Amino acid sequence: MVHISDGVLPLPTLAAGWAVTAALLVLTLRKLRAEDIPKLSVMTAAFFVASLIHFPVGPTSVHLIFNGLVGVILGTLSYPAIFIGLVLQAILFGHGGITVIGVNALDMGVPALVIGVLFSRWVKNSLSVERAAALGAVLGGIAVTLAVALTAFMLYTAGKELVGVIAALVLFHIPVIVVEAAVTGVVVGFLLRVKPEVLGVKVVEVGA
Amino acid sequence: MSVRAILVLVAASLILASGVTSAHRLYIKHKIGTVEIEAFFGGGTPCRDAAVRVYDDAGNLLLEGKTDEDGKFNFTPVIGIASYKVVVEATHMPGHRAETVINLTATGAAEGGEGAAAFPLYARVIAGLGWLMGLAGAAMLYIGWRYKREFEGRAKISEGGETAQREV
Repeated sequence: MVHISDGVLPLPTLAAGWAVTAALLVLTLRKLRAEDIPKLSVMTAAFFVASLIHFPVGPTSVHLIFNGLVGVILGTLSYPAIFIGLVLQAILFGHGGITVIGVNALDMGVPALVIGVLFSRWVKNSLSVERAAALGAVLGGIAVTLAVALTAFMLYTAGKELVGVIAALVLFHIPVIVVEAAVTGVVVGFLLRVKPEVLGVKVVEVGA
Repeated sequence: MSVRAILVLVAASLILASGVTSAHRLYIKHKIGTVEIEAFFGGGTPCRDAAVRVYDDAGNLLLEGKTDEDGKFNFTPVIGIASYKVVVEATHMPGHRAETVINLTATGAAEGGEGAAAFPLYARVIAGLGWLMGLAGAAMLYIGWRYKREFEGRAKISEGGETAQREV
């Protein structure tokens, strides 16, 4: 799971997490337009409740994250969406610590940002809906994997072993990776057919 | 056998059965039971094999252990120590940690825990969605105000331009 609790990480890691998160929030929110807000709110809500969908895997329990889906749909606005979602999860669900919100936002938000930018860049080239959906699926899976790896790295700064933790976390997250890849792919395919503007794409004459 | 002999026999067996030396005294033995803790993830999946550490109220480590496959761990409280801090760290999902204080002298100490939230889950979900709507509204207000300022600024500039033109 990618929500680190309070009292696990050392102070420098927490401070670095907040610093990066604050900088990225300023950068990403500067160009917020009024017409982005409904989309931002809906995706934040989806992210906020996704963590409630959990299933047991092996000796533990994992839950959905949807940082890839948020990244693909919101692009750079995925960072504030994930940050706000994490604040609400921490306050209302006790999910993840309060002092760790900066680090947790970095763990989940940076992959979302990267995936969002890559997607909007690539989707303009691959115009067929099928290929865009496949791209969305792959990126959706990668977002989870990256988030897990970043989480493991943060835990490494707390003295946990690096490679073993990454391996274990990725292994337990295979179902999450598969589910999120599928959902992201389907949503991308659906949006491209129905409302491509949401993805910032002017795809016309698809499949013609 | 005579009636008298039977009576003697009955009396003798009763005395033997009651325990001759104790002569009907009541005894009390006691034993302090264990404190059971249970660690679980949101949604109820037990957190098994997690590292458990129990501290006294001064922060000294009293004992360490691991949760069983139901996420449970038992410890016997030490006589003289009223308050315990229990810290659980998940093994299979590193980065997950919870702690709770069990104060044996407090009323209601018999049962409790962090998991007992004040509001049910659906209420907290609705609360979160409400927060989001509020935030969206606030952001809309802010952007509206920004647009308005920008527009007024532009209007002023064009006004100024017009008067300047007229003067010319």
